[in-house]
Amino acid sequence: MPLRNPSRSPSLRDERAAVPNGVILCVDDEDIPRTLRVMVLAKQGYTVLPAVSAVQALELLDQHHVDLVLTDQMMPGLVGTELAKILRAARPQLPIVIVSGVNEIPDDAIFADRFVSKVEGPLALFRNIAEVLADYRSVAGSDIPCVESSSSGSVAQAIPKIPRLSKSQ
Amino acid sequence: MNERDRANILMVDDQAGKLLSYEAILSELGENLIKARSAREAMEQLLRNDIAVVLMDVSMPEINGFELADMMHRHPRFQKTAIIFISAVHLSDPDRIKGYQSGAVDYIAVPIVPELLRAKVSVFTELHRKTRQLERLNRELEQRVEERTEQLRQSEEQFRTLANSIPQLAWMANADGAIFWYNQRWYEYIGAGEQEIERWGWTSVQHPDHVERTMERLQQAWNTGELWEDTFPLLGKDGNYKWFIARAVPLRDSQGSVARWFGTCTDISDQIAAEEKIRHLNSQLQQRLAELETIMQVLPVGVAVSQDPACDVVTGNAALAEMLGVGPGAAFSPAGTDLREHPFRLYQDGRELGLSEFPLHRSALSGQQLGSMELEVRHKSGSTTHLLASASPLRDPAGAVRGAVGAFFDVTGRKRLEDLLRERADLLELATEAIIVRDLNGLLTFWNSGAEELYGWHRDEVLGKPIHEILKTQFPVEDEEIEVALASAGSWEGNLTQTNRDGRELVVASRLALKAQGDAILEINRDITAQLQAEDALRKAERLAAMGRVAGIIAHEINNPLEAISNTFFLLRDHPSLDDEARHYAQMGEEEMLRLSHITRQTLGFYRESKHPVEVSIAQLLDDILELQLRRLEFSKIAVVKRYRSQGLVQGFPVELKQVFLNLIGNSIQAMPEGGKLRLHVFASSRRDSRRAGTWVSICDTGVGIDVEHARHLFEPFFTTKSAKGTGLGLWISKGIIQKYGGTISFRSLRRSGRNITCFQIFLPHAALGASDRIDAPPESLKIAEPAGRASGRA
Repeated sequence: MPLRNPSRSPSLRDERAAVPNGVILCVDDEDIPRTLRVMVLAKQGYTVLPAVSAVQALELLDQHHVDLVLTDQMMPGLVGTELAKILRAARPQLPIVIVSGVNEIPDDAIFADRFVSKVEGPLALFRNIAEVLADYRSVAGSDIPCVESSSSGSVAQAIPKIPRLSKSQ
Repeated sequence: MNERDRANILMVDDQAGKLLSYEAILSELGENLIKARSAREAMEQLLRNDIAVVLMDVSMPEINGFELADMMHRHPRFQKTAIIFISAVHLSDPDRIKGYQSGAVDYIAVPIVPELLRAKVSVFTELHRKTRQLERLNRELEQRVEERTEQLRQSEEQFRTLANSIPQLAWMANADGAIFWYNQRWYEYIGAGEQEIERWGWTSVQHPDHVERTMERLQQAWNTGELWEDTFPLLGKDGNYKWFIARAVPLRDSQGSVARWFGTCTDISDQIAAEEKIRHLNSQLQQRLAELETIMQVLPVGVAVSQDPACDVVTGNAALAEMLGVGPGAAFSPAGTDLREHPFRLYQDGRELGLSEFPLHRSALSGQQLGSMELEVRHKSGSTTHLLASASPLRDPAGAVRGAVGAFFDVTGRKRLEDLLRERADLLELATEAIIVRDLNGLLTFWNSGAEELYGWHRDEVLGKPIHEILKTQFPVEDEEIEVALASAGSWEGNLTQTNRDGRELVVASRLALKAQGDAILEINRDITAQLQAEDALRKAERLAAMGRVAGIIAHEINNPLEAISNTFFLLRDHPSLDDEARHYAQMGEEEMLRLSHITRQTLGFYRESKHPVEVSIAQLLDDILELQLRRLEFSKIAVVKRYRSQGLVQGFPVELKQVFLNLIGNSIQAMPEGGKLRLHVFASSRRDSRRAGTWVSICDTGVGIDVEHARHLFEPFFTTKSAKGTGLGLWISKGIIQKYGGTISFRSLRRSGRNITCFQIFLPHAALGASDRIDAPPESLKIAEPAGRASGRA
C-alpha cells in the first residue's frame, strides 16, 4: 500500500538500507521459506543466522551475538509468540519481529516488537526491521549493551521496556 | 117481665071448668095462658105459638093426652116441648113409664095442688125460657160464626191470591207435616198438577243427594216445632235443578201448639251461581295471591312494599332480605331506630343516605317514580352489596299516596364482572402483543393498543374493517387449512407476514382461536420480525465466523508460499545472471505476484486495529479504494471523476473508515453494471446547523437508483436489494461507524433527464474522536503491518 505518512521520506529509508545492519536470527521450521528469507535479508546486508525451531534459536542466541530475532509464527513446538515471550523476559533489549501468514493477530503478539504479515513482501519486512533496530538504537545509544547482558536477562528487566515503547508512541 | 119474655102455656082439657081452674091457678105466674079444648086445638095452638109448657089432661075424648104427647114427640119441633100431664086417675107405673117414654116431663095428680102446679109449670116455663134464651144465644153465636167464617173465607182467598202471586214456591202442612196446599208456583215450577203431587210427594223433585238430609231435618222440625231452614236443589219442569232456600215456620194456635206449617222455597240459583262465581273468583284470587307470594319469595329480584305513606313499615321478600342482610322477621325499614344500629346502611355514589332518601321513602314522599338508582349496601359485617333500585308510589283511588313499592336487583356480581372486565381490558391494553378480535366475516371488532403500536393503525381507523386486507396478511397455508384447524381444534398457530401502516413488512407469530360461542376469532400476534432478523443475523454471523476461520486457514496456506515467491522474485530481480529477456519475464512475474499479494492483503489481511485513532486522509483512503477496485471499474466501464478540495483529514481508524467507503463505492459499482459515472467529492466545510468543522464526502453514481420503497429501510440491518450477494449489513454498519465519529450519512436518489443519480453524503467532524475510549479495541497497542501504518498512532 502506498505510504500514508508523508513525513517518512523514502530517501531516508534507502539510505539506511545501504548500510550493513547487524546480525538477525531467522527462525522458521519450513526450509524453503526460511532459506529464501535468509537470502533476501543477506542481500539487504544483514548477517543472518538461520534456525529451524525456537529451541535451536535459543541455543544459537547463547552462542552468538544477535541484533534482532525474526521468527515465523506458526511452528511446531514453540510458536513465534511463545518464543517472543521467553525472549522478552530473558533478553528485554533484544528486538523481536514476528512474520506470519495468519490473518489474525494473536493476543500474545504483544511480546514482539512487530507482527508482520508475510504478504507485505520483502521491502516491508526490511522497513519494519530497520525501524525496530533504529528505535532500539536511539534509546540505547550506539553501543548495544543489552545484548551482552542477555545472560542475566530476567523478567524484572522486561519492565523498563514498556514505558520506553509508550514513549515512542 | 116484658111481653117478649112471657112464655106461652098451653092448657089442654076438654072440660072448660078445669081450664078455668088452671087459668086461675096459673095466672099468678104472669105467663100467656092459651086454652085448648081438644088435642086438635092443642096441635093448632102448638103450631101457631111457641109453647113453653103443655098442661094437658090425660083423659080426653077423641085423642087423649098420651096420644097427643106421642104426636108431639113425633114432630121434631115439639120433641123437646115440656108436657105436664094432669090425671084424675091413679097412674100405674106402666102408665108413668109410658108417659116418660112419650116425652112427658111431669105428672100432676088430681086434686091439683095449686102451688105444686104453679111450681111445676113455673119450672118448665123457666126451662123453656132458658132454652129459648139458649137458642137465641145459639143463633147469635151461629151467626157470628158464620160471619167469621165468611171473613176467614175472604182472608183465605186473599192469602191464596197473595201466595200465588209471590215468586217463591209456597206450601202449607198440618202440624204433623202432611202438606195440604201448594201454591201455583209449585205447579208451574215442577210442571205438574195437584194430583201428581199427591201421588209423587214432593221428594220426587228433590235432588237425590239431598233428600235424606232434607227429610231428616224436616222431621226434626215437625217434632220440635222449631223453624226449619234448608238449601237444596229442586228439579224444574225443564229438567234442570235449581237451588232453593226453603223455610218453614209453624203457625201456632192460642194454646201455643202448632196448628200448621207454612213454608216457602226461594229460588237462589242465581244467588248460588253468583256466590259460586264469587267463590271461584275468590279462590282464583287466593291462588293468584299464593302464586304471587311464591313468586315474590323465589324471585331473585328484591321486592319491597310499604302500605303507609310514611313507609314506616316495609315488608320485603326473601331476596331482598338476603340483599340487605336482614334476618327473617326483621324490619326492612329502620324507622324509629338508630340507623347505625340497623343491619345495613345505604350509600349512593359514596354518600350515605338518610332514611328519607331510601328508595321507597323517597318515592312515597315525592310521589315520583324512581328510575334506576345505584345503591351500595354496606353490611354490618363489612361486606358490600351493589343494588340497582327502582321505586314507585302506590296511590289510593283518590290519587293520594298510600305507600310505595320497590324493586332491587343485586348487581354485585355484575359490578365485580365489570371490574374484572375492566381489569382484563387494561391487561389487554398492557400487552405488547397485538390482540385482535374479528367476526367470522373477518371484520375487526377489537384492536388493542398493542395492535395500534405494532401496525400503526388507530382502532378508530380499522374497527369494522376487514383486517387482513388492511394488513395485507399473507398466510403460510391455505385459508381452508386454518378454517379446518379452527373448526376442529379451536385454534391455529403460525407465522404471518403482514404490512404495517408505514408499509413495512412484519413477521408475526400468530395464534388464532375460535371464540367459545363460535362467533368470533381471537387473534394474538407477536412481532417476531426483529427476532427473526436477529436469528438471521446470528446465522449470518456464524457464517461470517465460519468464513473467517476458513479465511484464516486459506490465508496461512496462501501467505506462506506467497512470501517465498515474493522473496524469490526479490532475489531474482537484480540477479546478475539474468539477461534482459529473463529479467523482463521475472519482472512480469513479480508484478502479477504483487497483485496477488495485494488482493490477499486486502481480503485476508489482518483485521485488528490500533486502539488509538490516527490521522487519516479521506482523499488518500478513496484513492486506495479506487486502486483496489480498479479492475471492477474498468470492467464495468465506469468513469471516475474525483474532485478533492481537501485532503479530508480525520482522526480515526483507517480500517473501519475504509470499510465505510469501500462499501459505498462497491455499492455504486454494483449499481452500474452497464457503465456510468462515479463522482467522488471531498471538501472541508462547516456544517450549517452545528458549525463544526469537518469533511464532506459525497459519492454519486448514475446507477439504477434506489426505489422509494427501499429508501426507508436502507440503513436497517439485513436490508439488501442484492438478495444472495449482499449481507444487508453494509450500510447499517457504515451508518454505525459514521455515527460513532459524530458524523452523518444521508442519501438522495434523483431521476434527472432520464438518468438516475444516487448520492450518498457523509459528514465527518474533524475532532470527533479524541483519545477516546469510545471504541472497542484490543487491550494492548499493536503495531500492525500496514505498509503506511506505523500503526502505533498518535493521539
